[in-house]
Amino acid sequence: MKHGRGGRTSSGSGTAGVKQGFYTGRWSYWTLVLPILALIAMFFYIPVALAFFWSLFLERPFGGGSEFVGFQNYDRVLSDPEFWNAMWRTLIFMAIAPTLAIGLSLILALAADRGIRISQAARNIIIWPKAVAGASIGVVFVFIFNPFLGIFAPLNEMYPGIWNPRIDGGDAFATLVVAQVWNGIPFNFIILLSGLQAIPDGLAKAAAMDGSGPWRRIVDLQLPLLTPQLFLTFVLEFVGTVVEAFGLIDTMTQGGPGGATNLLIYKIYVDGFKAYDLSGAATQTALLMMFVIAMVILQFRLERFVKYER
Amino acid sequence: MVEDTRGIDRTAFAILIIGVAFILAPIVIAFLTASLSYEEFVSAGGIGLNVGSSFLDNMRRIVTETQLPGQLWNSIVISLLVAGIKCAFAFTATFALVFYESRWNWIIFSLTIATVMLPLELLVITTYQIVANVAMPLNWLMQITGLAWLAEEVVGARHEFRLSLLDTYIGVALPIATSSTSVFIYRQFFLSLPKDLPRAAAMDGASPFRFMIDILLPLSWTPLVATFMFWFIGGWTQYLWPLVAAATPDAQPAVVGLAKLANTEPDRIPDVPLLMAGALFVSFIPVVLIGVMQRQIVRGLNLSEK
Repeated sequence: MKHGRGGRTSSGSGTAGVKQGFYTGRWSYWTLVLPILALIAMFFYIPVALAFFWSLFLERPFGGGSEFVGFQNYDRVLSDPEFWNAMWRTLIFMAIAPTLAIGLSLILALAADRGIRISQAARNIIIWPKAVAGASIGVVFVFIFNPFLGIFAPLNEMYPGIWNPRIDGGDAFATLVVAQVWNGIPFNFIILLSGLQAIPDGLAKAAAMDGSGPWRRIVDLQLPLLTPQLFLTFVLEFVGTVVEAFGLIDTMTQGGPGGATNLLIYKIYVDGFKAYDLSGAATQTALLMMFVIAMVILQFRLERFVKYER
Repeated sequence: MVEDTRGIDRTAFAILIIGVAFILAPIVIAFLTASLSYEEFVSAGGIGLNVGSSFLDNMRRIVTETQLPGQLWNSIVISLLVAGIKCAFAFTATFALVFYESRWNWIIFSLTIATVMLPLELLVITTYQIVANVAMPLNWLMQITGLAWLAEEVVGARHEFRLSLLDTYIGVALPIATSSTSVFIYRQFFLSLPKDLPRAAAMDGASPFRFMIDILLPLSWTPLVATFMFWFIGGWTQYLWPLVAAATPDAQPAVVGLAKLANTEPDRIPDVPLLMAGALFVSFIPVVLIGVMQRQIVRGLNLSEK
């Protein structure tokens, strides 16, 4: 904690020391901040607190009363193998999809930063998926990967059964990853490209003078100077994939086949809204929140290895 | 720079072509398939490169036979509400946080920024309960303070306040608008302005509100427009929350409507051309928006420094 303020150099200018404040009126101050405080209290902090609160109670659906049960819900959830399976699948998804999305975005951003003729057009097009909802593109991808109607249909005719995401869990998981990467590329691409373009030209010229070619400069100059943006994309992408997969799962696989794509966010939805197990869903929500918060804190601990000086 | 860059430029060219092809492939396939009639699609046996002539016919069916047009309107209203609330609330709050002297500044800033850490999708179970009865906190408050007991004595019966915002535009929009990234963006922008700006305005006799409306607002146009567009698109692409908060088709946004359309297909070969037309129908507004406004959005979010 002590290290926090010094470490966050990119944002810390106004908080530590420098006094920007000019006005002092108390009434006008609270009038200005009250709307957002009311909004986040009502629709963010109360739901967060309620999830933790409910995880200690046995809630009956349809307002059938509740009963304090201590940590029994946690016992039940943590001893349920399906919870651990869903958690494990979430972890695998978090390891694969963001790595691919950021890796591919990085390669594309490095290419677009060359400033060749198609850079402009490519830049504009690569950003489009940001505006397409996961659930919308899921409807398209489920058709593209359909074993009998999609792109692999000819392959299936030659070698029957080689590709079927409706039966093979691995295939289904792969289709989810492809769709998630498609949807995840644009934002990472914009952030990384902006970072690359912010590197002063003089540095590249100086490096060229010293005899370092364009390939060499990627490794020795551009990548090290891009670490803040890479860090940002990893933080955003890790939190994002935990929840964004929902739209894809619901339209593409519904968690199947055989639960192979039943990630935790989908399981919570099914438990809460289909099976009306409110306590179980709230407990899993609480666990997933703790997991996400732990991930974010861990990532900010790693931030000290990120170079900010230019 | 006098340097032989042909090798790397050729590689960059190839990479960009492949990248654009990967991004465009699903969109092109959707267009091609949407141009076929159902019979043409079935006889072709699935994905193909033939262009049909039924695109307008499929679109007409989307408009007349499905609920997507009304749901498109829902999407527009919800997205406008999300973007409007986010920008307006964040703007006034950030103005106070940056230009007012208060020991609460740091706490309020932390409280708003913390909302970014936990996305709404994580919280649907309990957010749903709150939106199903927004008077719930009031009931708790009355119970804790003993007012509920007092009211029971006076009126003779236990009274619980109930007000459900489910299936309403505002009920769908408000929880989406809680994520307060804008506060961070506006704060960075305000801090980059000359520090003596409010002092100068005060010398000319401008009150804080005057300064905010007449000076700060016009200056902040770039980040405001960019964040507005960004949150409009963000509201449009929401799925899990509207799916649970809007149960009736009349209140659902277009993305949810499309998913329902895809899921309610009978067991025969689904009418894929119609579905593809639907996917294009629900996506074209935000995609055109991001295609046209790309520069403004990227610049206004302060992602690029050049």
